[in-house]
Amino acid sequence: MSGEIVVGIGTDGSGTAAALYAATLASRMKVGLVLVFGYESSVLAPGRGPLEDQIESIGDELTAVVRSAIAEAHPDVRVDVELVRDRPAESLIKVADARSAEMIVVGHGGAGPLRAALLGSTTYELVHRGPAPILVVPDSDE
Amino acid sequence: MQGIPGNDDWGVMSSESSSSTMVDKGLKGGSLGLVAVIVIGVASTAPGYSLAAGIGGIGGEVGVKAPFIMLFAFVPMGCIAAAFYYLNKADPDCGTNFTWGVRAFGPKAGWLSGWGCIIADLVIMPNLAGISGQYLVLLVHEEWANNIYLTTGIGILFIIAMCWICFTGIELSARSQVILLGTEVVVLAAFAITAIVKAFHGVTKTVTVDGADKVYKSVKPSLSWLSPSGVSTTAITAGLVLAVFVYWGWDTCVSVNEEAEDSSRTPGLAAIMSTFILLGIYLVTSFGSVALLGPEFLADNSGEAISAVGKVALPNVFYKFLLVAVLTSAAASCQTTILPATRTMLSMGSHGAAPKKLARIDRRHLSPDFSTWLFGGISVLWYIVLVVVSHNTSYKIYDASIAAVGLAISVYYGVSGLSCIWFYRRHIFTSVKNFALIGFLPALGGVMLIFVFIRTIDDKISADHSGDGSVILGVDTTLFIGTALLVLGVPLMLWCKAKYPAFFNFKADPKDSVPDPYGENALAKPLGTYTKELTNVG
Repeated sequence: MSGEIVVGIGTDGSGTAAALYAATLASRMKVGLVLVFGYESSVLAPGRGPLEDQIESIGDELTAVVRSAIAEAHPDVRVDVELVRDRPAESLIKVADARSAEMIVVGHGGAGPLRAALLGSTTYELVHRGPAPILVVPDSDE
Repeated sequence: MQGIPGNDDWGVMSSESSSSTMVDKGLKGGSLGLVAVIVIGVASTAPGYSLAAGIGGIGGEVGVKAPFIMLFAFVPMGCIAAAFYYLNKADPDCGTNFTWGVRAFGPKAGWLSGWGCIIADLVIMPNLAGISGQYLVLLVHEEWANNIYLTTGIGILFIIAMCWICFTGIELSARSQVILLGTEVVVLAAFAITAIVKAFHGVTKTVTVDGADKVYKSVKPSLSWLSPSGVSTTAITAGLVLAVFVYWGWDTCVSVNEEAEDSSRTPGLAAIMSTFILLGIYLVTSFGSVALLGPEFLADNSGEAISAVGKVALPNVFYKFLLVAVLTSAAASCQTTILPATRTMLSMGSHGAAPKKLARIDRRHLSPDFSTWLFGGISVLWYIVLVVVSHNTSYKIYDASIAAVGLAISVYYGVSGLSCIWFYRRHIFTSVKNFALIGFLPALGGVMLIFVFIRTIDDKISADHSGDGSVILGVDTTLFIGTALLVLGVPLMLWCKAKYPAFFNFKADPKDSVPDPYGENALAKPLGTYTKELTNVG
């Protein structure tokens, strides 16, 4: 079974608008939605244990907010959540690949031009490496 | 592809609502290849910076035997890496030796072991900042390098910038890291080989100090520099304390084992490969630096040894490259100083051993904010104090801090080695492999480091310091910095004990509860599972 829509949720609140938009699509296409929270902590020091527990609970909270918004707007859409310990772009590619996703939906993200130039933008990387079509949804201004 | 648990029951989902949501936690990446793990290991050790900071002192302590000390110091550090590897299997907590200390010897020992790690990291910060300030100025305008206000100002900015980088979690891509490290290694090799060749041809340099000319002559490199013959135990110990610092951070490549693509093979292989790279770098560079103008020149310029030797060895353009290599290496080293310190603080706060605030993480950047800035702030203060005191008096506090770090490392690495054998005591004698890797190596490393610690204290106490300005309040400077800060941990721990009694009711893991490191599940039960019975009931 495949054809789900994969959505990236960021720590900066990016992805909420994308997720709601994706939920509308999912509802029409009658497919499921997968919220992906990708996080990474530096590998230059051990990062397991309490650090990872806290990061995961933040991921839980962020995705729970998005989930309840989707449940209200589109109660028919099934939503899965994946917390992935990797760079956001890599996480989305991995999940989309493993689930043979129909498409990947992301928000603009919070990366400014400088940060994006130095470290690469998630969206840019996805456009070039993504295993599925990419849809970029502008973040709402609220 | 990694298996995604629960993916199979996708077909049997109910279509009613999102109440059927399933949450998958931590699709554990395993995304680091062999090269990446090697790069992490070598970059964390920061050979360029370590040499710049350590070779002057090592040359001063053991003279031309510096290459021997470089080789020998690897023995205890390599042994302790085995302890890190196995303890990490039982509990990959970011508190590392703090958590392991609690499991092996109980909460008090664990608390102090964590403190030792934080102190080692704190003590090295002024040196990192100082070297960065100095080398950056040397790069831009050499004449300004003696301007203490300028170098100190840059040093403070450097600490703040590195804390900010650690806080925001910005990280260079793997490819940029490979390029940076590759450049560092090539530049160091070029420097060392040129220095050795020039030393064979013979070089002299005359420096005028206080009106008198001092002549430094090159020494022809000899293989006898690799043997300990003719070096006193005191000199070897003094050299070891410094050289331990040179390898500090190398163990990172064994503790990232869960991040590695093939976690059963990659970390071990990476550790071996990075060891060869490091041993190679340290051997040729120590031969080169000692040979070029003799060990005395190193000792007399211990503050900027690599830059001083590099200037003689290399043409100007390459000399600038060498400065850049030291700077990038110092930046990497600073990251691997701040991150472990703040994560130990986070772990201690999180397990209730210290104020909860230490465990707070920033929701946007997913890194400990309070701990990072607290550590940064104390580092800046400590840096200013050292600069002011060593500038206005004859105390050599600044130089002594490397040896002080060596002392702190010896203690907390030593305790980790002993923690490993005591924690795994049930499994040591079950196979030859276990005995060698979990028992013998950690014991050898632990005992060597603790010996170095005790012997150094003993030597420093009995040494005659009359008039050489290396004494504070009647105590040797190294000893003062190294031990005063370590000892400060005891009242702090007692304060925490009064404030957070629950943590101090934890018990060391009982012998029989320790899982087989090669068993189905090598993970130990969560920290705090075993407590003293009285309070456990309530």
